[in-house]
Amino acid sequence: MLQGIGSRGRREIDARRAAPATLTLFLAPALLLYAGFTIYPVIRTFYNSVQTIGPQGQQHFVGFANFSALLQTDFVFWKAVGNTALFTIVATIADVFGGLLLALVLFARAPLAPLLRIVWFTPVLMSYVVVGIIWVWIYDYDWGLANQVLRAIGLGAFEQSWLGDPHTALWSVMATHVWKWLGFNMIIFLAALYALPGEVLGAAELDNCGWAAKLVYIIIPMLRPTVVNLLVLSFIGKMMVFDLIWIMTGGGPLWSTETVSTYVYKRAFDWNTFDLGYPSAVAVLWFIIILAFIVLMTRLLRQHDRLEF
Amino acid sequence: MWRRTPLLLFVLLYTVVSGGPFIWVAVMSVRTTPEIFASPYALPSRFHWEKFVQAWAHSNYSTYFWNSIIVVSTAVVLITIFGAMAAHCLARYRFRGNRPIRFLILSGMILPPQLLILSLFQILLDYHLYNTLTGLILVYVAGHLAMTVYILEGFFAQIPQDLFDAARMDGYGDFEIFWRITLPVGAPALFTTVTLNFIVLWNEFLYAVVLLTEDDKRTLPLGIMHFMGSHQLDVGMVATGLMIAITPVIVLYALFSDTMIRGMTAGAVR
Repeated sequence: MLQGIGSRGRREIDARRAAPATLTLFLAPALLLYAGFTIYPVIRTFYNSVQTIGPQGQQHFVGFANFSALLQTDFVFWKAVGNTALFTIVATIADVFGGLLLALVLFARAPLAPLLRIVWFTPVLMSYVVVGIIWVWIYDYDWGLANQVLRAIGLGAFEQSWLGDPHTALWSVMATHVWKWLGFNMIIFLAALYALPGEVLGAAELDNCGWAAKLVYIIIPMLRPTVVNLLVLSFIGKMMVFDLIWIMTGGGPLWSTETVSTYVYKRAFDWNTFDLGYPSAVAVLWFIIILAFIVLMTRLLRQHDRLEF
Repeated sequence: MWRRTPLLLFVLLYTVVSGGPFIWVAVMSVRTTPEIFASPYALPSRFHWEKFVQAWAHSNYSTYFWNSIIVVSTAVVLITIFGAMAAHCLARYRFRGNRPIRFLILSGMILPPQLLILSLFQILLDYHLYNTLTGLILVYVAGHLAMTVYILEGFFAQIPQDLFDAARMDGYGDFEIFWRITLPVGAPALFTTVTLNFIVLWNEFLYAVVLLTEDDKRTLPLGIMHFMGSHQLDVGMVATGLMIAITPVIVLYALFSDTMIRGMTAGAVR
């Protein structure tokens, strides 16, 4: 807040200030691209969501008709919402706590920990296309690894057409998704574990505190902010899940793996209706729901944190 | 020693589960499809390296590969330059509108792709950029600025102000300060964002699948999907194709594993 007080000479060398032209030059490229390819599309999607768009691009204002059709008569949408909710809740919990488990294993001085950390992180770097195709093979009924293993250990009765059966398809894709992202959560937890104050853990050891007690009473409470962050982050990612499902099942069989995102894509580009209005309404509604959850989760979980300390 | 046996078993098991599938694909990539169907999990009896030549030359793999290289490298360079300029401006200067602009850019981090993709399709058609690599590059740059500015701004803000005051005393202009102080001092953060954006864009699928439909414009992920579609039963060739897509990532990972891990997880811890 020096700029008001300083003399003219002081102001000229104040490195915190710059001419408006300079500021504009620094910000212009980013802001122009951002305006043209992010802000404008968002506004246009909101605008499209109250329109019906014909094959030649002619638009008609329909008010909230898209939204009411969506909420009242569209059973595929509701199926997709149910699947996405199940996927989000189960995969988020599995991802975050599975990652914590892996991090604790490495933290407990497993042999070769630095190397294992690198191997275990590998799936995070691979594209959904690569991961998806590999796992389609693993789930293959005839020669896939999943059934081969079951047969080998004498559980041949449990062999499945994993991705072909509506009862197992969603769970199978979920397992692949968790497999891909576990390493990510592990790395974040590992960093948080190494940042824990050594004196506290040392004091616990002096008091003859066992591993389990140390975990429950010291490590987990101190990791709480990390857990909250990862839960929110993972939650957002899973609410938008698209790529892996599109690649592995395309939403089938019988809508059993349809998610909101795959449904938006299908309605827009696969159904040959050319109507971008209706899928825009789905996208807008879903964005509002995600936003509400983000606000709710950060409020609930983080507020609680502040009260505790 | 016995107490640690369950731990060691778990470690061994998870290593096989996380790394095994990639080894399996690597093995299949040098076996022919009849060999694979005879025994899916056997080791290669003879290494069929010629399959790589075949995939590269007889399908459009070389085109997909170079398209990916062009799109990803151009986009990463632009994101880094534009993102660093904006981050420098937001971190260093006090001016009216600083906070609203920061909020506007950073809010891009929570926008679902589905909210953008439908109208981006229309907009690129309007601009005559649909089905062009240029269009995809611009979309990628705009879409990844938010995270990049977020990471860089946090780092740039921690550079001691004295450095900038001294530079100003010595008569450096604003752009000289950016070029000769912020960028060199911020190099580690720049390196992190370059890595992050490179991996994410190299793997990107959704925008590419909507915005590119011509075969000679396809990037690698689309190319593999297309290849998979037309060679459904030729598992051996698809495995070779997958290996071509995986290899650059594996080579980079072997050389820079720590940087890549840091890059992929940057921005997750606040």
